[in-house]
Order: sequence, then structure tokens, then C-alpha cells
Amino acid sequence: MKLKILYADIKSDIEIIEKELENALSSSSHLLNDASLHLLQAGGKRIRPVFALLSAKFGDYNIERMKNIAVPLELIHMASLVHDDVIDDSDMRRGRHTVKAQWNNRVAMYTGDFIFARALEYVTIIENPQAHQILAETMVELCNGEVIQIEDKFRLNQTVKDYFRRIKRKTALLIESSCELGAVVSGADEKTTRHLKRYGYFVGMSFQIIDDILDFTATDKQLGKPAGSDFIQGNITLPILLMKEDPQIVPYIEKVSTGELTEEERQAMLQLVRRSNAIKEATKVSNLYLKKALAEVEKLPNNPTKKKMRDIALFMGKRKF
Amino acid sequence: MSATYITQSIQQLKSNIFMHVRHRALLQNVGEPILNKEQLFFIQLPFLDGKPSDDDRKISAITVGIVHASLCEHEKIKEQNATGKQQQLTVLAGDYYSGRYYQLLALSKNIQLIQKLSKGIVNRCEQQIKIYEPVKRPLHEWIDSISIIECELIERYYEAYEFTQYKNVMKKTLTYLRLKQEFSLIKNGEESFFSKQLHNDKFNSPTIQKELQEELMKRQDELKRIVEHTPIQPELKQYIEHLITS
Repeated sequence: MKLKILYADIKSDIEIIEKELENALSSSSHLLNDASLHLLQAGGKRIRPVFALLSAKFGDYNIERMKNIAVPLELIHMASLVHDDVIDDSDMRRGRHTVKAQWNNRVAMYTGDFIFARALEYVTIIENPQAHQILAETMVELCNGEVIQIEDKFRLNQTVKDYFRRIKRKTALLIESSCELGAVVSGADEKTTRHLKRYGYFVGMSFQIIDDILDFTATDKQLGKPAGSDFIQGNITLPILLMKEDPQIVPYIEKVSTGELTEEERQAMLQLVRRSNAIKEATKVSNLYLKKALAEVEKLPNNPTKKKMRDIALFMGKRKF
Repeated sequence: MSATYITQSIQQLKSNIFMHVRHRALLQNVGEPILNKEQLFFIQLPFLDGKPSDDDRKISAITVGIVHASLCEHEKIKEQNATGKQQQLTVLAGDYYSGRYYQLLALSKNIQLIQKLSKGIVNRCEQQIKIYEPVKRPLHEWIDSISIIECELIERYYEAYEFTQYKNVMKKTLTYLRLKQEFSLIKNGEESFFSKQLHNDKFNSPTIQKELQEELMKRQDELKRIVEHTPIQPELKQYIEHLITS
């Protein structure tokens, strides 16, 4: 099943979000317009707006109000990707050149800052201070997650707990906040908001673990960048942590840390990880988070959107790229 | 009010900003945020001139400084090969400061200033990126860009609190000081915002030096008149005059 089929019920609202994203990114600068258009054309799953909108179905749903939170959530995600590509020195994302590759790092910095600022400008239409406090804390923690990721690079003595702590901030938090903000802005009750928030957290954790598995199991074409890129950049993710005692992986880790991994060795490393038990074990961990997410859905009040939230969580947990 | 009191007030603001963006890993790898003391002076000017201050206004002043620090960090990123750990963390320092300013204003429920500052950042970024646009622009347009880069955020902050009587003197002074700095860099053959672009445009180094020098002389006279006619305390006038002439 494709994600778009799952979005079918809110298709017209997603189209409104797309249109608003275009409006939000328009600028008096030709270069910023080009860079923004470049990002919009690269597409994306728009999962953060989708989670915000679906969560809002448990409150007083109104797309005209909800777009004021759904659009900034996607903008913050987009801006952080533009800056991440500078940090990771990535030339490709989703099969397209990154802003930093198409222009340069400084253009990417200004573009990211511009998009962050547009997100905040847009979100100030919402007057509820609680919504701003949630979003602001998320932005700060997102950065903390990124700082930890850099500090943890090539650090093999890290634990699985360190990894969870990192992906919580790096990914799960923004999905958790998307659900929470959807609920808060639509005026859902506190108990429902709490379950939606927890649902977002568990889906986010599962989503990132799957992402880290796909870094090894998907093809270059599916990923739009070379498989194993995250690992090559020094990110020690769950599959590697689960096989770090395997003597066969050690030489590859050493080569990665000195930047000496050849293309042939990259292919051999990918084969080794794919054949290992680590992929199965990591998938199990992802499924555990998924199970917890589904349990949160069960605690939500009866609403046709419950099935949709269940289906999307399952889709996220089973996606192939 | 003495010059020492003004300096102490600026120093206090600086310390408060540092305290609110303190982050172990960033401090260790990137260092303390860069703050321009002339900009800090103009952030403090309304209070030094006797405008009432309260906790909310103090936090607002701190956040304006934090936004400047955030954007300043991103100015440190190299155009190519920003792959070292320090550069990577510099990107994140800017983003972290940006998150902190939003967080502080969200906690003090100051949505209006969040909106004003974010609009200011948008305008500023639009001007900063112009040096990478392949369009030739006359000198006065570059000066307008510099003025927005230097003054836009403080201008938005003045608007939010109706401190607009200080706007003109702030804009003229900060623009003048930046032009003076650019002139000095060009004269010494160092890279600057101007030199980078102007060398690609119709200007050559002696031409731009001459034009900038004339512009500075014209602006200094104009600025002295503005300071004289701005209704602020005499000690503050003296401080600004000192900034211009030193």
C-alpha cells in the first residue's frame, strides 16, 4: 500500500498544506525562491503535517486553523534537513542535489535560516502559548539531539540506550510534537492529547530505527544516496551496535573512521550487515515500538481516525524505503 | 550616567545572553557567541534613556541579542568543506540559539515579538543571500542591504515596544559603523561583505575605496546632525559621538 492511499481521506487538506508551503517559501530573493522550489520539488512524505492533521481529528478539526501548525512543522523539518546536509556534507537527498551541493554551504545556511524564520512567522498566527512552548522546546531538543549525534560519531563504546536517547531527540520528538500540537491546537482533551503524544513518540522511534535499517538494506536508487551513507559518516546506528562484537565488522568500522572505505569494501560491508542477525534484531526493536504505538491508539476515544492512525503506524514500520 | 555605567549595562546584557544560551558541548567546541557591542548598546538605549524596564522587556532585549548571535554563527560557515567538527557544531550553535530565543519568548508569551523578529530574520536573510545572486547592483543598493543586515532586528524590536524615536539614530549609526569597517577591510586587502561582491561588479578596489570614503564623510556629517537633534540624554549623545569618531 502506498502512503498516499492512506492519506486519501485528508487528500484535499494535504493539497492545501502543499499550497501553503509554496506561499510560505516565496521570497523577494530569486535565489531563495530557487532554493525553496528545489526543496519543494524534492517532495517528501509530509508525515509531520499528516500526524498533526490526523491528531486534530480528535478535537475541533478546522483545516484553516490546523494549517497554521501543520505548515510550520514541515518547514522546521525542511530547514533542519538543509542544515543537516551541510553538517553531513551530503550532495544528494531523495535523488536530487542538496542546496549546499547545488549552490554552497553559505547559501544553504541562509536558506535554512530563512525557512526557520518563515516557520515561526507562520506559527505566530496561533495565539495559544502552550503550542509555542511545545514547538520551541522541540526545536531546542532537536538541536541537542544533533549535537549528541556529532559527539557520538565513530564512538563504538556507546550503548543502545545512548542510541535511543539520540534518536528520540533527532526524530521521535518532532513526530511526537506534531501529534501533540495537532491535539492542542484543535482543543482535544488532555487525556487524548497525552495518548496522541505517546503514539507520536513510539511511531517516531520505530520510524527512525527503520530508517537506520534501510540505510543498509535499501538500494542506492531507493535511498536517493549511496546505501550505508549514515554509517560512512560515522553514525553508529542500531544495526551496527547490535553487531559490534562481530569480528567481521570491525575492519570496516576502522576504515570508516579513517575515511578509507573503498567502493568495493562498501559493497562487502553492506552484504555483511544485510546477512547478519542485526537487521532482524533491529526490526524486532522497531516492532516493539510499533506495538506500543498501536496500544496508545486503542486508548483513544472512538473515532474513524483511529483506524487511519493504526494503518499509518503499520505502514511506517513496514516500509521498504 | 557615565560612560562606565553604559559599558557596564552593555556588559550585563552580554552576560545575560551568554547565560541563556550556555551549552557545554557548544561552548567547548565553538566558544562563546559573538556579540557586537554597538548593537547591544542600541538594544539597551531605550532603557538607558529612562524607558521603563520589566522582566518581559529584559527578556526581549536578551532575545534580540540571541538572534544576532544565532545568525552570526552561520556567517562563520565556510562556503565549501565545512566538514570539521567545529564547523558542524557551529551550524548547530546557530540553530540552538535560534531555538532558545523562540523558547524564551514563548515562555514569556510574547508572540508579538516572535512574529516581529522572525519577519526581521526573513528580511535579513533575503539581503545576505544577495551576494550570491548573479545580478549587478549599484553601490547604494549594497548600502541598503548592509543597513538591513545591521539594523533590521533592532528596528523590529523598537517597533514592538514603540521605541521608534531611536530608530533613525540607530540605523544611521550602525550602518555608518559597518561601512567604516568594510572600508577598513577593503583598504587592507581583506575579504568583506562588500569586497566579495563588488569585485564581481563594475567596481575595482580604488574606485570602491574612493566612493566609500566619500560616502563615509557625507554620512558622518549627517549623523552628527542627527545625534544632535535626537531627544536623548546628553551622556548617550556623547557615547554615540564617541562611537562615530573613535
